[in-house]
Amino acid sequence: MTLEGWVPELGEGLTLSQVIELAFDYRGNTTVVKVDGTEVEGYLFNRNCEVPEPFIQMFDQNGNGPFRIPYAEIRNIQFSGKDMAAGRSWEAWVERKQREGAQPATGHGKEEE
Amino acid sequence: MSVPISQMWAVASYVMRQKLRGRKRYPLVLMLEPLFRCNLACAGCGKIQYPAQILRKQLTVEACLKAVEECGVPIVSIPGGEPLMYPQIGELVDALVARRKYVYLCTNALLLKEKLEQGVFRPSRYLTFSIHMDGLREEHDEAVCRDGVYEKAVEAIQEALRRGFRVTTNTTLFDGVNPLRMREFFDEMMQLGVEGMMLSPGYSYSKAPDQEHFLRRTKTHALFSQLLSNPKRHWIFNQSPLFLQFLMGKHDYECTPWGNPTFNLFGWQRPCYLLQEGYAESFQKLMETTRWENYGRKSGNDQCRDCMVHCGYEPTAVDQTFGSWKGFRGALVATITGRL
Repeated sequence: MTLEGWVPELGEGLTLSQVIELAFDYRGNTTVVKVDGTEVEGYLFNRNCEVPEPFIQMFDQNGNGPFRIPYAEIRNIQFSGKDMAAGRSWEAWVERKQREGAQPATGHGKEEE
Repeated sequence: MSVPISQMWAVASYVMRQKLRGRKRYPLVLMLEPLFRCNLACAGCGKIQYPAQILRKQLTVEACLKAVEECGVPIVSIPGGEPLMYPQIGELVDALVARRKYVYLCTNALLLKEKLEQGVFRPSRYLTFSIHMDGLREEHDEAVCRDGVYEKAVEAIQEALRRGFRVTTNTTLFDGVNPLRMREFFDEMMQLGVEGMMLSPGYSYSKAPDQEHFLRRTKTHALFSQLLSNPKRHWIFNQSPLFLQFLMGKHDYECTPWGNPTFNLFGWQRPCYLLQEGYAESFQKLMETTRWENYGRKSGNDQCRDCMVHCGYEPTAVDQTFGSWKGFRGALVATITGRL
């Protein structure tokens, strides 16, 4: 299951801290919606809630950063980017290999850049 | 002899200095990840699954060297991603060798032959290519999810050895591995002429896509006992014999998560190479502010319960080897007799 495309509805059952934890675990870009209405899309790679002013850290979608955003400035986080961990499983590879027959021409995998 | 005496002495003297200083928590090997880009997408690897802008980024050589100086380790392992895709890999390795750090460049070897032909590296007792090989051809190509990788890696190993480089293999064993085939694999790697082999059980960490094939502790003991109880004399393992005995169930060790600290684009990874629970901006903050009591088997942490991976337990074994007469004697006996 993936969170791709999810727009959380914060409330009693779901806190901002919980959403931040999920965004930290998510392997794709997210959109941080700030209380002032601005938005930052990028990869959330760190959070620290054990300091006097908890914060997240992210690189934006162009790779600039890291930027630090205090929890207090965040209204919500949307799971806007593609989930880069979804669908990349052992089972998917085995299925593909079976489809291609006994001697597949290529396996899957990132091509060298 | 698998490891040069100079390297053994560098590690032994480093550990003894930490003991003399009364340092309870000290790093041993820096896992330096200059980039996350890779030219493979192995099913067991969750380390490369990031958006494009993250995969395009890389550390500067200066940032890498600063990290090495910060933690002061004698050994630097360079995994990734695929380190041979790092444009400054030659410059980085040269700088580390000049600092007399023992470098293990962990690579799938797809680009190695090309880099050797380009003269990017020079043979040195400080530099070892640690080639990722998860078994014989069929098993390895299946593990890396691409056909033909095994053959290319073997060619690269042969070329590197021909040019006078130190070469080891590193093998992760997943659930379902055939012990007889794996023993055959050991024969094949030693026949190629590698200096030694490194083994580790695969571990299921939450971001790895394949959750069902990782080993559990009891199965790990059984597997490694089958593999190593009757080792052939010509097999050489580039690891502490106490760690291999631990994998066989002969020692009950606790994890040393700070033993192989990890530094990458995001900073100093908490708490260890496998679990990604946050990042510290300096090595000192990593050591001082990580809640180490929350990790390891005794902590009760579910994520640590079945883990026996080398990055957490080999530092424990090394600490035992050079930190106590019993450990030293045990390691010496195993090394001399070749029996585990």
